[in-house]
Amino acid sequence: MKIALKINTEASTFEADPDMPLLWLIRDEAKLKGTKFGCGKGICGACSVHIDGELVRSCLYPAHMAHEKAVTTIEGLSKGQDRLHFVQQAWLEVQVPQCGYCQPGFMMAAADFLKRHKNPTEEDIQNSISNICRCGTYPRIIKAILLAAQTKNHESID
Amino acid sequence: MKVSTEKPKKGFSRRKFLARSGATILGSVALLYFGRSRVRGALSNLAAGMKFDSGVTDFDPTVWFEVNADNTITLKSPKVEMGQGIFTGFAILAAEELDVDFAGIKVVHASTLSGPQSTASTGMSNSTASLYTGIREVAATLRETLKLAASKLWGVPITTLQTADGVITSGSHRATYAEIAQQTKKWKLAQTPALRPASTFKLIGKEHKRVDAEEKVLGKAVYGIDTDIPGMLYGSVLYCPYFGGEVKTADTSRASDSPGVLKIVQDKQWIGVVARTRYAAEQAVSKIEVSWAFEPNYSTRDAIEAITVGNGVAVVMQDEGDATVDSKSERMIGEYRTPLGYHASMEPSVMIADVSGETVTLYASTQNSAFMRETIAAETDFKEENIEIIPRFIGGGFGRRGYKHNGIEAVKLSKAAGKPVHLLYTRQQEFQNGHVRPNTHHIIHGQLDTNGKVSVLQHEFATGSMAFLAVPIAKTIIGADFPAAGHGARIPYTIPNKTTKIWGGDLPFQTGLWRGVGMFANTFAMESFMDEMAERAGVDPLKFRIEHCGNTELLQRRKKLLLKLGEEGGWNTPKTDSLGRGIAVCEDRGTISAALVEVQIIDKKIKVTRVVQAIDAGIIVNPNGVRQQVEGATIMAISAAIYEEATIENSQFVQTNFVDYQVATLRDTPQIEVIIQGSLELPSGVGEPPISPVAPAIANAIYNLSGIRLRSLPLQAALEAHYRDSEK
Repeated sequence: MKIALKINTEASTFEADPDMPLLWLIRDEAKLKGTKFGCGKGICGACSVHIDGELVRSCLYPAHMAHEKAVTTIEGLSKGQDRLHFVQQAWLEVQVPQCGYCQPGFMMAAADFLKRHKNPTEEDIQNSISNICRCGTYPRIIKAILLAAQTKNHESID
Repeated sequence: MKVSTEKPKKGFSRRKFLARSGATILGSVALLYFGRSRVRGALSNLAAGMKFDSGVTDFDPTVWFEVNADNTITLKSPKVEMGQGIFTGFAILAAEELDVDFAGIKVVHASTLSGPQSTASTGMSNSTASLYTGIREVAATLRETLKLAASKLWGVPITTLQTADGVITSGSHRATYAEIAQQTKKWKLAQTPALRPASTFKLIGKEHKRVDAEEKVLGKAVYGIDTDIPGMLYGSVLYCPYFGGEVKTADTSRASDSPGVLKIVQDKQWIGVVARTRYAAEQAVSKIEVSWAFEPNYSTRDAIEAITVGNGVAVVMQDEGDATVDSKSERMIGEYRTPLGYHASMEPSVMIADVSGETVTLYASTQNSAFMRETIAAETDFKEENIEIIPRFIGGGFGRRGYKHNGIEAVKLSKAAGKPVHLLYTRQQEFQNGHVRPNTHHIIHGQLDTNGKVSVLQHEFATGSMAFLAVPIAKTIIGADFPAAGHGARIPYTIPNKTTKIWGGDLPFQTGLWRGVGMFANTFAMESFMDEMAERAGVDPLKFRIEHCGNTELLQRRKKLLLKLGEEGGWNTPKTDSLGRGIAVCEDRGTISAALVEVQIIDKKIKVTRVVQAIDAGIIVNPNGVRQQVEGATIMAISAAIYEEATIENSQFVQTNFVDYQVATLRDTPQIEVIIQGSLELPSGVGEPPISPVAPAIANAIYNLSGIRLRSLPLQAALEAHYRDSEK
């Protein structure tokens, strides 16, 4: 079927199997490679994107359900290299990534989390985000989210 | 515009490699001639103190570097970046000698046809340690070569030239490196100059941000999986989930008719589909009807029996004093086990093969390009010189990418389809068809003298192999895998009578390298037993370890680090009864790594609340990078120590995804403090050493808290078994 959707700022139409996971449409058809495959079962969160502002694990999300919706990927989180999203700024400041593979998913989850938590505690973060990182960057992820929350509160950018 | 890389590579690297192969053959002959056990013992001694070579033999600056038009410099790394931060470390090392802005060095992966080659894999925490001098020398040689060219262009003596910020000056003459490179047709290589002394370092040892951080934060870093080349198709392979299984019967007719399918390839052990999209390929694979020929009924119980002290081939790794001496005091015995474990790298194995006529280009997530190329040449019709391996960022290595996994299949599928093919393992395949960390079994005997000092210590352990997956013949020659799986098994402490013996058992599935190799399991057993003996001796565990650190350089460094950890980590500070505190230490190829851990047990669940890691790894190139590695190793160790275990039923691995293979998440994150013990020794590794002391330190802390001694991993399962047993 024809799937019409907006990915980041661009409206596009793709011919794809309706049941194909959205992840493969984003990666292989729209050629946006920042969203990653990790488990294929919605457990690890490497494929996290926002659909109409909601956090979604795209490896389990059938492409047809994204029809006429707006998808934001890691590439669309920032408004260009000069204006990083405050989550990305915090990630850079804290130097979170090691292999970096899971980090786009974590940043998408963190951006979503911070919409709902203005002043999160470490525990809020630990209980809300279940993504998996195998390099063990968790201590820095927590630090970066706390920092991002502060930045956001001070600068009130969204 | 650029320093030419077209000149033929120096022949000596190849010759040196051949010479090394010759040495291996001679070694094998020696084994047959002198009798195996003696030679094995001698080899074991040799392996214990061995510092691994980088495997890089070519240090010609025109092979390593390109001077770009914008006056940045490209460094082609013979080692792969998989998160360990070597691209940053390499840039720091090169910039230190090149007199350029650190940010002006762009590090890329060398391919097997371009840039310096490494015959050794990326691993063993060896990249920075083994190339610390080499990279500075090749960078210094490039600087002097540029100066030589400038002095010729300007007709001034080279001694009048100065370099700073990528610019060469002499009197009124001034040119950037790029301008000199543009004007130089033929390079005359300078002699390698003396390196700058540590006292003048401007970059080495300072805090640096990672060179790859920004692209990784923007989602723009290119990993193996991100390879996308024109005309590329997608492969999906049906592998036998059963150990050693082969296709018995297969009906691919429904798969052939599936939408988007272009090609089906049937091999002895797998059936592959090439289709227009990954989804189409995966759908087609699900329609293949296959029956497998395999040996059924192998279970975890069989793996445990195969890996039990007394089964298989034994090799004595250490034999000092007389461990059979009789004493009036009783012998203590500790028996420990560690389970099979996955790497669970977030990026599953992935290869993109582009076969065109006689040539193969393989874009790979690999820790070992040289081995990948050799293997493809050996198992297909392509000649080695016609195969180019292009490494990409790896989404987590941990030893998982040292082998050939799915490279051969990708090549065969691309050849059949006549187009480039992208082939990715599913998570289930990554777990069931990869390789695992072998299980281990340890029996330790110890005896204390009347002063509470250990007089006898014997470590016998059984394990599968880690190093032999790539070279199976080595198992026949050396019997048991003491170089890798036996790593960390020798008793380091000053004890008059001590022995270590490894039993190499056979497992019917692929076992191989895992972060820290044998050090992880062996340190768990040995450092748990040290605590058990300390308690018997009535001595504080930290003090007990220090009392067994004699006058060798390594033990003195161990002692110093333990004291520092105890002091700065608060070993003797008051604590509540709900908190347990434990300590453990290891020495890993010159690096000393020690951990102090605090735990709680809440609702029968183990919760690590605080970890203080101390590390002594010689000169530190980038403290930020070292802290990242130590923090990451701590988390991975907590995960492996408390939760992880792969099990087997009916000849296949049971755990197929993260839903049944539990790993640590944000919830398991303790407070982590990292103490770096600076020194002027040459750098040793940091990626692996800190993973090993954590598991025994947790077990020791649990004992300190509860009086429950857990002697097997994973600890949560062991604790639950303890509760079940005590309820009976």
